[in-house]
Amino acid sequence: MLDVVIIGAGPAGLSAAIACRESNLDVLVIDEFPKPGGRLLGQLHQEPTGEWWNGIKETEALLNKANALNTKIKCGVSCHHIEKTDDGYIIHTNTALIKTKKLLIATGAAETAAPIPGWTLPGVMSIGAAQVMTNVHRVQVGKRGIVVGVNVLSAAIARELQIAGIDLHSMALPVKNTVTKDHAHPGKVMDGLVRIAHLAPSAFLRFGSKFAQSAKVREMAVKLYPSGGVKMWGMPIHIRKAITKINGTNQVESVTMSNVTPEGDIIPGTEEIIKVDFVCIAGGLYPLSELASVAGCPFRHIEELGGHVPVHNERMETPLEGLYVAGNITGIESAKVARAQGIVAGYTIAGDVAKAESAMQDVKAIREAASIQFHPQIKAGRAKIHRAFQEYV
Amino acid sequence: MEKTIICRCEEVSLEDIENTAKKHNCSAREVKLRTRAGMGYCGGRTCRPAVDAVLADVTGEKAGHQVPLKVQPPVRPVTLSVLGGTHHDN
Amino acid sequence: MTTNRILNHPVLGPVENKTPVTFTFDGQTFEGFEGDTIASALLANGIRQLRVHEETGAPRAIYCNIGHCFECRVTVNKHETVRACMTTIQPDMVVESGKMEPAPFNTSPEEWPRTYAEFESKKEGDSNA
Repeated sequence: MLDVVIIGAGPAGLSAAIACRESNLDVLVIDEFPKPGGRLLGQLHQEPTGEWWNGIKETEALLNKANALNTKIKCGVSCHHIEKTDDGYIIHTNTALIKTKKLLIATGAAETAAPIPGWTLPGVMSIGAAQVMTNVHRVQVGKRGIVVGVNVLSAAIARELQIAGIDLHSMALPVKNTVTKDHAHPGKVMDGLVRIAHLAPSAFLRFGSKFAQSAKVREMAVKLYPSGGVKMWGMPIHIRKAITKINGTNQVESVTMSNVTPEGDIIPGTEEIIKVDFVCIAGGLYPLSELASVAGCPFRHIEELGGHVPVHNERMETPLEGLYVAGNITGIESAKVARAQGIVAGYTIAGDVAKAESAMQDVKAIREAASIQFHPQIKAGRAKIHRAFQEYV
Repeated sequence: MEKTIICRCEEVSLEDIENTAKKHNCSAREVKLRTRAGMGYCGGRTCRPAVDAVLADVTGEKAGHQVPLKVQPPVRPVTLSVLGGTHHDN
Repeated sequence: MTTNRILNHPVLGPVENKTPVTFTFDGQTFEGFEGDTIASALLANGIRQLRVHEETGAPRAIYCNIGHCFECRVTVNKHETVRACMTTIQPDMVVESGKMEPAPFNTSPEEWPRTYAEFESKKEGDSNA
């Protein structure tokens, strides 16, 4: 029986493994992707300081540390069930049953869909799919595309596609339906955009900071939004245009775009057809918590954290003895926060209280300093889930 | 207006889900059983939040603390040889 | 063959010294790089469509590219339901696209049979395959 199994070799899982190995625990990290790194692998952006955040380099740094400590990492291992036993957990995978005393689930996040007509055609993919294809596999997803869904994540990845030399027509909203409604509402999207304005150069920066102040001014900005869009890195961002349909027979050939009212309703007679050969759908992220669920962990639905998250405390313990969580499964935040949470989890598992306490302070400091907040009320969300844990003590 | 597919695995449309939820005024779970939305290969990983959103809109079923569409093992498709323990390659 | 490769990248640098790997997809031979997934190797060769929907025959390709959605499922060396986005290519691997399967009935969910007797009677009047 192993001391610790860690599911997910992303920033949280790898840093937790390193912390566990420092205390010489018998650790196994498993991941279903062929390479370790998780979503960190695809990340590439310029920090406000001008420095590049290169996910491949960051992953290498973690792997070097892990390898120096002889950490066992197995890729291509897919977990489909977890059973709690009297003295630990049995993990059911495609290759074997794995028995462990303690289990850390660090499975990250999945993408929320923004379904629109035609989105099953080849050439339509989630924005994260395009990121992995571009930066990890180094394959072009198409020649000219459009991004459907305007948010923190899609703006960052759109920029990555541009850097790789892929032509993007623009970013626009999905057509409004009962599923996409928040992503299709110009006012709500504007609120989100203002939060990332500081990442963009000149024009948009001024645009954003001018409108960031009050809800009234933002409302005006939505009403008067330029029909040519506002350019970020030379690419138009449209919040008063929506993609109503993706067209094509065997693959994407074009999209239909229409102007929308400030509430996101289609203005009839404004349709235009835009020739593209790929479409990226961006509906945001939600914590991928299914394994914590089958293991029997209680949950809370916390909007600020991105959806249903397993109940846990600041030390990354869940109410189930020997079950821990870290990274985006606990709420949608940056890879830096995930990595710091992994360190907390690792020290907690190893029973090193002093180091865990200190690592908890690091998580807070990194959250404070973050240039991108996926949700503005993240700290309130964190407080809610930590309070929920108290009900189980 | 062309159909908007919500569940890609089983090709269940938004219209199907909305109509089923309206007609039976039912829970997310019942919609899943009636339409098969969320019962395909991906286990609802892609459409689960979307089905929840439709239900919140149509019947007012709020996302409670428990995950609305219960998650059940196996959370990924497995072959019978894996379940039977005779599968050793890859 | 590597027309869709991003061989040079201003930040990530060049792709070089890659070992070629040959495999087949629906009987046709393709070359990818060692470490490629089936999905990335095929896309590098301009192939997007990986299967058709079992019932409707609608063409499908990768959607999430990270193992969650199972839209890229293919048959690899006779093993079914293998995710093209999660499986690295191996020399002489035989990959086959997903095909249509016979559908006993194809109507709205409301008309689906609830009992075996209903199923039998509906099958009679609806012989699409």
